Amino acid sequence: MKQSVHVLAILSLILVLLAACSSGGNAPSERTPNNDSAIEDNGTGNEEIVELSLFINHSWYPVREWSGSIAEEITKRTGVKLNVTVAADGEQLPLMIASGDLPDMVFTVREPRLENPDMSYPWNELIEEYAPDFQLDQARVAVNTAPDGNFYTVLNAFATPEEWEQNPYALGNDGNPGIAVRQDIMDELGIASIETIDEFMAALEQVRNQYPDMVPLTMDIEWISQYFKMQFGIPPHSSWYEQNGQLKHVNTHPSMLDYYKFMNRLYRNGYILAENFTYSNDQIDDEYATTGRAFAHSHTVSVANADMAKAATQGHDLTFTMLPSTLTDEAYNLSTGTGFSGVYITKNNQNPEKSIEFLQFLASEEGKELVMFGIEGEHWNWHEDGYPEFHYDVNDAEYVNSEGLKWWYLYSDAIVEGLRGYVPGTQTTKALQEIKEITDYNPSIGMIKLQDGTNEKVIFDKIDEMVVNEEIKIYLAESEAAAEQAYQNMMRLAEDIGLNELESWATEEYQKVQELFE
Amino acid sequence: MEAETIKAEMAINRSSVWKRFKKQRSAHFFVWIGLMYLFVFAYTPMFGILMAFKDYSIVTGIKGIFTSEWVGFRYFIEFYNEYKFYNIVRNTLALSFLKVVFTFPVPILFAIMLNEVKHLPFKRVVQTVSYLPHFISWVVVLGLAFTFFSSHVGLVNQVLLAWGWIEDPLPILTGSSYFWGLAVGSAMWKEAGWWAIIFLAAMAGINPALYEAAQIDGAGRLARIWHITLPGIKGTVVVVLILTIGSILGGGLVGSNFEQAYLMGNANNNDTSEIVQTYAFKVGLAQGRYSYAAAIDLVQSIISVILIFSSNYIAKRFSGSGLF
Repeated sequence: MKQSVHVLAILSLILVLLAACSSGGNAPSERTPNNDSAIEDNGTGNEEIVELSLFINHSWYPVREWSGSIAEEITKRTGVKLNVTVAADGEQLPLMIASGDLPDMVFTVREPRLENPDMSYPWNELIEEYAPDFQLDQARVAVNTAPDGNFYTVLNAFATPEEWEQNPYALGNDGNPGIAVRQDIMDELGIASIETIDEFMAALEQVRNQYPDMVPLTMDIEWISQYFKMQFGIPPHSSWYEQNGQLKHVNTHPSMLDYYKFMNRLYRNGYILAENFTYSNDQIDDEYATTGRAFAHSHTVSVANADMAKAATQGHDLTFTMLPSTLTDEAYNLSTGTGFSGVYITKNNQNPEKSIEFLQFLASEEGKELVMFGIEGEHWNWHEDGYPEFHYDVNDAEYVNSEGLKWWYLYSDAIVEGLRGYVPGTQTTKALQEIKEITDYNPSIGMIKLQDGTNEKVIFDKIDEMVVNEEIKIYLAESEAAAEQAYQNMMRLAEDIGLNELESWATEEYQKVQELFE
Repeated sequence: MEAETIKAEMAINRSSVWKRFKKQRSAHFFVWIGLMYLFVFAYTPMFGILMAFKDYSIVTGIKGIFTSEWVGFRYFIEFYNEYKFYNIVRNTLALSFLKVVFTFPVPILFAIMLNEVKHLPFKRVVQTVSYLPHFISWVVVLGLAFTFFSSHVGLVNQVLLAWGWIEDPLPILTGSSYFWGLAVGSAMWKEAGWWAIIFLAAMAGINPALYEAAQIDGAGRLARIWHITLPGIKGTVVVVLILTIGSILGGGLVGSNFEQAYLMGNANNNDTSEIVQTYAFKVGLAQGRYSYAAAIDLVQSIISVILIFSSNYIAKRFSGSGLF
């Protein structure tokens, strides 16, 4: 008995020590080159497949594993296979950075915390060492260069104003706002068309009265404000706007109060649900729309086609039509154009050489077309006028996602992505053409970068966080006067946090960037 | 002569301590394991507290905690000057105290009621059903809450509207004024059955002869509960109460302040749902401001330590027993 107690005690001690030793520290873990890679014969007998881990910092990402014909084709052409992890929420990457537990590559929006040589490999160094023939144009290098002079990523979805102009078929991507409305309900209500914001409000009023069980307007939690800001002449995607050479925070825009009052009216008239502003995921609005419980659905330019396709798969015969992208004379869009997301090759990367070669392939015309359009001949062909003709419905999300089309745009550009948006005769294309007509391009604004640890970054983040909590009080105010009061309160708080200081800094930076462009 | 006697006594004492230690060495192993666990996981990471007083950047690694520049109380002052400071501290304290006040007595009452049930199969079913929610994660509880309390599709609102008790749906999940009730209620639902087990175990230890004697003396059911059951579990109640107050800022007995505030909190109920822990997590970690996050959390730790000592003192004063 006594002996067995001894043995038990010693075993427990060993277990505790093992647990303590395996918990790891904060420093990025050192890995041996083939630590968790699977090198295997790919069937041809002469090439090895390298497995690299990729973290996608977008919790909404529709593709969650390296599968489908496009992924297979990329693996065939590059010898690289990705083990994909999609973020659970916005806090996961900061925690990974804090713990040093980073994968081989991270696909994210610009992340200053990864832009230092202790966390990531600079692309310029990797290109010099492993891929000297990987040519990048100076504009892309310039907009992606970090303060230390290196560039650690190249964001996709970027094009210069000149490139946009030279490519008439290149439209914006799906990252543009749109609203779809139920055509069948409009027919029942005798509404011929909706061309103005007043007609839209009148339609919502009719729906509220005639269909009390239906939500007049449901909004994707990520796309609540953009469409309507655009109608009020406020840049829908930018935190800044220019006024007489000064860079101002978007919340100070002269039309901002009108926008908030309008949104408040939507709520007070019973056209939107209060809980719509607190949806914990971006599927709830889709459920409302595709099961026939909502009349209008605010999301992106492809929302009408996407809703119809999804409703059809669920056995609902619903017809959606896009509202025009411009419902007012003031409608305006600003492209600050430095891109959406890019790949960081972390210091934990087990094979930086293969990683940069992989990105080099994606950056080639062949790679970009494969990712965006599909396999030539099978998924698409060039039209004689110079745009791709697709053999599939580019808005059929289920097919697109299962094949892995578009979403492996770890390196891409806005032109090839824009060409994907050009499908003559579709509602999405029409909406994108309308948006292109009201779009101004100003990459200088996009180059205003807030650096971690700086006072202006702290102020910017605090204002951002404050606005999230305060603007909902404007949206849900019980009267227009209360909404205005809540707006004034929000602006007062922004000034207390340091709005003026932030704007002075931004204006100074903006002027410097403009000098560079000149 | 006297000095020699003392020396001799000390030598005897030392040898008897050593003998006792040798005799108990297998039991000591377990104590040392516990101490090592505490040292590795509780005390060693404490050097990170330094961060709260330094201008620390993650890129400097662990070394940076020691080498970065001292900034004194800069981050504490910044937290104090936050426009939400009052709300955050108020929410943290209010949520914690409400949980103690409402969730501490419930498992005791529930255990007493179960103890009085004589129909064994029924008692077992009720006990099992009541502690099962303990094993459900808060993420799932949030899903259930949406199904029940959503203002548009929630069962509760639909029933209340159908019965004509309300004219407009109640914003239970989104309204600021509902969050504390929602948090306390859901925590009670989730954990009351689980904690009742401890009190039921304490009641099982009460000598049945006492109940028989009281019954012979003519004591009714309530009198037996008041004079036998409650005094019989007093020691357990005090220990659990002290532990509860010690962890009060985490939610006390039922815990989960962070999980609830993080998952059920949203922009609309932020005025009442933001607590110190979620704020440290959001502003500190999500924005990469580790020093600031450390300072915010340290404020909470200091309040917790004060509460532990106070509760222990009060417990000793009123019941004669405390934790230390």
